Amino acid sequence: MPGVALSRWTMSYFALALLCLLGAEILMTMGIGFPTSDISAPASLIVVHLVAIGWLSLLLCGALFQFVPVLVARRLYSDLLTLPTLACLAGGLALLLYGFHQLDSETGTAWNALPFGGLLLMLGFVLALYNLGRTLWSARPLTLPARFVVVGLASLVATALLGVDFTLILSGASASKPLVELVALGLPLHVVAGLGGWLTFTAMGVSYRLLAMFMLAPELDGATTRGVLRLGIAALAVAIVGGVALIWSGGEPDWALLAGGLFALGALGLYGRDIGRLYHERKRRVIELNSRMAAVALGHLAAAVLLTIVFTATGTLGRHVGALVFLIAFGWLSGLGLAKLYKIVAFLTWLECYGPVLGRVSAPRVQDLVVEPHAARWFALYFAAVDFAVLAEFVGAPVIARAGLAAMLIATIAIVAELVRIRRLADVPRATRLPEGARRPRLLVSVVENA
Amino acid sequence: MAVTFVDVDVRPTLRNGGEPFGEIMAAVNALAPGEGLRLLATFKPVPLLHVLGSKGFSYETREIGGGDWEVLFSPAGAARDPETVAPAADAGAWPAPAREMDNRDLDPPEPMVRILAATEEMKPGEVLSALLCREPIFLLPELAKRGHGWRGGFEPDGTTYRILIRIDGAEDVGT
Repeated sequence: MPGVALSRWTMSYFALALLCLLGAEILMTMGIGFPTSDISAPASLIVVHLVAIGWLSLLLCGALFQFVPVLVARRLYSDLLTLPTLACLAGGLALLLYGFHQLDSETGTAWNALPFGGLLLMLGFVLALYNLGRTLWSARPLTLPARFVVVGLASLVATALLGVDFTLILSGASASKPLVELVALGLPLHVVAGLGGWLTFTAMGVSYRLLAMFMLAPELDGATTRGVLRLGIAALAVAIVGGVALIWSGGEPDWALLAGGLFALGALGLYGRDIGRLYHERKRRVIELNSRMAAVALGHLAAAVLLTIVFTATGTLGRHVGALVFLIAFGWLSGLGLAKLYKIVAFLTWLECYGPVLGRVSAPRVQDLVVEPHAARWFALYFAAVDFAVLAEFVGAPVIARAGLAAMLIATIAIVAELVRIRRLADVPRATRLPEGARRPRLLVSVVENA
Repeated sequence: MAVTFVDVDVRPTLRNGGEPFGEIMAAVNALAPGEGLRLLATFKPVPLLHVLGSKGFSYETREIGGGDWEVLFSPAGAARDPETVAPAADAGAWPAPAREMDNRDLDPPEPMVRILAATEEMKPGEVLSALLCREPIFLLPELAKRGHGWRGGFEPDGTTYRILIRIDGAEDVGT
């Protein structure tokens, strides 16, 4: 039972993830890709994957390398693998984005980067899965939040396999009939597996533990939480496996998606009840900024669910799918991600810097590393800008949406600046900043001292 | 010097469906300095352990048959007869805790901060017992670095984690 050490490269994952988020926001503000172009245009594919892989997946991988060990109280299987994993993911993403750019140019090129990007990304995700999988395997039987992560990782496999299929067909590297059929009709499955299974389901699982931890709320492992897990597995299995089966048997995946959607609705309903309980039964009455902003992000998830129901019922889902994906990516996932980063970066930095001297000298508290009122303003601007952009997209006004995106960009830059200040201990009073024996943390790498 | 214990038997009150909390707190407030309380109840009074723990009492619980429990509350700092102190079941040859703390209601990472502060004040070989609401996964590497030994596990209630830390006792850890 050796406990859990700091993950050395997690800060590098976070930094690269944030750069990708800023890059995507800059492109969208400049009118490249969605919302100026259609969501499935090549330029939009660059933006979408910059957000989904570069920002959200790197963020989640970096966080999981640190927090899967926390969830299961075991050390990460390999600290060494995390850097090559990051290199594969970053290199694969760069090639993938270049491949999308090649698709966009009129003249055909002799070679296309897409399949190389797809395969390198696959390698990176396989390394991450192996590392996290071995860690989880050693900790069986798994706690409930850890099971959510397992389902999320399985969805990542499905997403990546479908993604590799797309790169093979779109680049002309393969023309196999079943693979072509999947590309023709399988885009919704790729999106559901990635956005719903990998990103949302994993975030839900981790949120159970993090919210309970940061608000002193009871850990939930009752019938509703098990219900969320089971219904979620059913939803993903029906939508993805069922969808692929329908496509290969000559049909369209719509019925599988609808049935999966109903299961997902049940899962999200129960999840909402659980989260309501966590906030309601917390012992800590005054909660920190990260928990307040997480609540706002959860509100955006609820709004996305309601809007999906309304659009499906009125037959307008196809017209609004871009804005809906935007709402899920930026209101829910990015909102939650930025909120939790604000806490996690402060906590990990505090532990790295002051852990070795705790009890020996008077060290600052975690909250001394942050100035919440400053950050709160930028979070408020961020969410307001997201809502503004989403509304503009719903009414079909991409130029106005770009004003919202510009505001999102400003808010994100400011939040990143706050994170850098945390890492630099810039807001800790100078007198107590570096007591004897404490080491100033480096921006991108955590120095891990093994016992 | 062993602690003198004042007996409070709340079993009749409980069997009549009454609420013994007021009775117990009255007895606690009437204790002379250095005196402890011997409580007899029909169940393990976990919330009360919590309340008195926060008032500076350490306690030992014992099931005495028929579903009844005896709890010995000792004032903090009192010298206790090691024979009467029942350390955690797996404590082996470790001495009784010299210091106990209840960190269950503290915001993380405050439990870790307090435990490390306490270990710096204690003498080699002494044992610290602390109650937490989860396994202190970030504390353990720090204890290892400082050469302390530890044993820990969840209490039967499944939500309280008790860790015993022996100062400079790293060689005793059987992991």
